[in-house]
Amino acid sequence: MPDDRRLEVFSSSGADCRGSSRAEFVARAVLAGGTLAAGGALVASLPRLAVSAPSPAQDQKILNFALQLEYIEAAFYGEAFAKGKLSGDLLEFVSTVRGHERAHVALLKKVLGRNARKQPKFDFGETTSVPKKFTAAAIALEETVIAAYNGQAANLTKETLAEAAKIVSVEARHAGWIRAIAGRNPAPDATDQPKTAAEIQADVNRTGFVRSS
Amino acid sequence: MQSMSDLTLGDLDREGAIREAVELVSGDTRAAFLSKAVVGGGALLAAFAAPVAAEAAATSDVAILNYALTLEYLQAAFYTETERLDAVRGKLARVPRQLGAVERAHVDAIKAALGGAAVKRPAFNFRGVTESQSKFLKTAVAFEDLAAAAYKAQAARIKSPALLAAAISIHSVEARHAAWMRFLAGVTPAAAAFDEGKPVSEVRAIVASTHFIVARPKKSAKKRPKYTG
Repeated sequence: MPDDRRLEVFSSSGADCRGSSRAEFVARAVLAGGTLAAGGALVASLPRLAVSAPSPAQDQKILNFALQLEYIEAAFYGEAFAKGKLSGDLLEFVSTVRGHERAHVALLKKVLGRNARKQPKFDFGETTSVPKKFTAAAIALEETVIAAYNGQAANLTKETLAEAAKIVSVEARHAGWIRAIAGRNPAPDATDQPKTAAEIQADVNRTGFVRSS
Repeated sequence: MQSMSDLTLGDLDREGAIREAVELVSGDTRAAFLSKAVVGGGALLAAFAAPVAAEAAATSDVAILNYALTLEYLQAAFYTETERLDAVRGKLARVPRQLGAVERAHVDAIKAALGGAAVKRPAFNFRGVTESQSKFLKTAVAFEDLAAAAYKAQAARIKSPALLAAAISIHSVEARHAAWMRFLAGVTPAAAAFDEGKPVSEVRAIVASTHFIVARPKKSAKKRPKYTG
C-alpha cells in the first residue's frame, strides 16, 4: 500500500512533505542571476529527496492543483479581453493567450473527468482593466504557473509528465512574451526555480483573486 | 525507445571521449550501475563520484545529458561567436551577451554533472548566421524552439528525479528564450496551446541539415577549442 502521507502532498493545509528541498537544491545548483558555482553544480549537494512516488492517484491530485491555476489564468485573460481596455501588444497577447489557457483547462478537465475540481469564483479587481495592473498580474501568474509545474515534474507519472511539459513550455513562452512587452528581461535566470505546492498556494492566496473554492 | 546509436549527434566522437575516460577508471566494480548494453557509463560516473552517481545514474540518463550538452554547446557557440563578431548592436546587443552567458552556464552545469562522461565540444562553422542581426534572430528562434522541443521529448525518459528537475528547469528557460527571440523577430511568441516535443532523430536531422557542426572534436584535452567560422 502506498504511504498515505505521500498522497497528502496537496492537503488543504498546504503541507508539502518534500519541504523546500527541491527548490533549494536547484537554486543552489544552478545559475541564480549569472554566476555558476564550480563543479557538479547541476545537482550539487543532492539531498535525500523525498520525492513522492508517482501514481495515477497522485497525478490526479497534481493535475487538480494545476487546474486551479489554469482556471485562474483562463478567467483572468478572458475577463481582460472582454473588458476591452487593452490595446497594441497587450491586446495581441491577451487575444492569443486566453485561447491557450482555455485549451489547458479543457484538457485537464477532460483528463480528470468527474474528478476535476470545480471552477472557483474570482475577483480580479482592476487587473483586468488597467493595463499596468494587467501586465503585472499576468507576469505574476505566468511565473507562478511555471514554478508550479516545474515543482511537480518529478512527482508525475511519465505519461502525465510528457503532457505537462507541453503545457509548461507554453506558459514559459507566455512569460517571456509578456515580460518582453513590459520591457523586462524575459529570461533573467539560467534555470527556472521550481516551487513546492505550499509555496504556490501561498502565492495564489496572496493575489486575492480566488473568492471561493 | 531510442537506441543508444540514435543519441549520437552529428559527428561527435562520443566513443572516443568515453574511451579516454574508461582508461582512467580504477578497477572498482560498481556493477550494479552498469547496464549490459553500454560500455561503462555507470562505472564512469561512479568512479568520478559525480553527483549523478549518487543515484545510480542510468546510462540512458548519461546519454540524454550528453545529447542535451551537445545542443547547449551548439547554442553557446552560436551566441558567443555572434557577440565576438559584434553582429548585433544597439538595443539588442545584450541578447547574444545574455543568452550566451546562460547557454554557457548550461554547458558548464551539464558537463560538471557528467564528469568524464561528457562529450567533448564539437567544432562549428556557423556559415554567416552570426554576422548579421536578421540572420542571427532567425537562427536564434530556430535554436531555442529546437532546444525546448528536444528537452520536452526527453523529459519523460530521464530516470533520476534530480536530473529531471534540473532538465525541466532548463527547458522552461529555453521556451522563454524562444518566445523572446520570436517577439524580437516579429513572429508570434506562442503559436499553439501545447508545444510538441521533437524526438532525437528529428532534432539530429535538423542540426545536420544546418552543417553547423563540422568536425570531430580533438581527443586531446584542449580546454577552449577555437570556434571556426
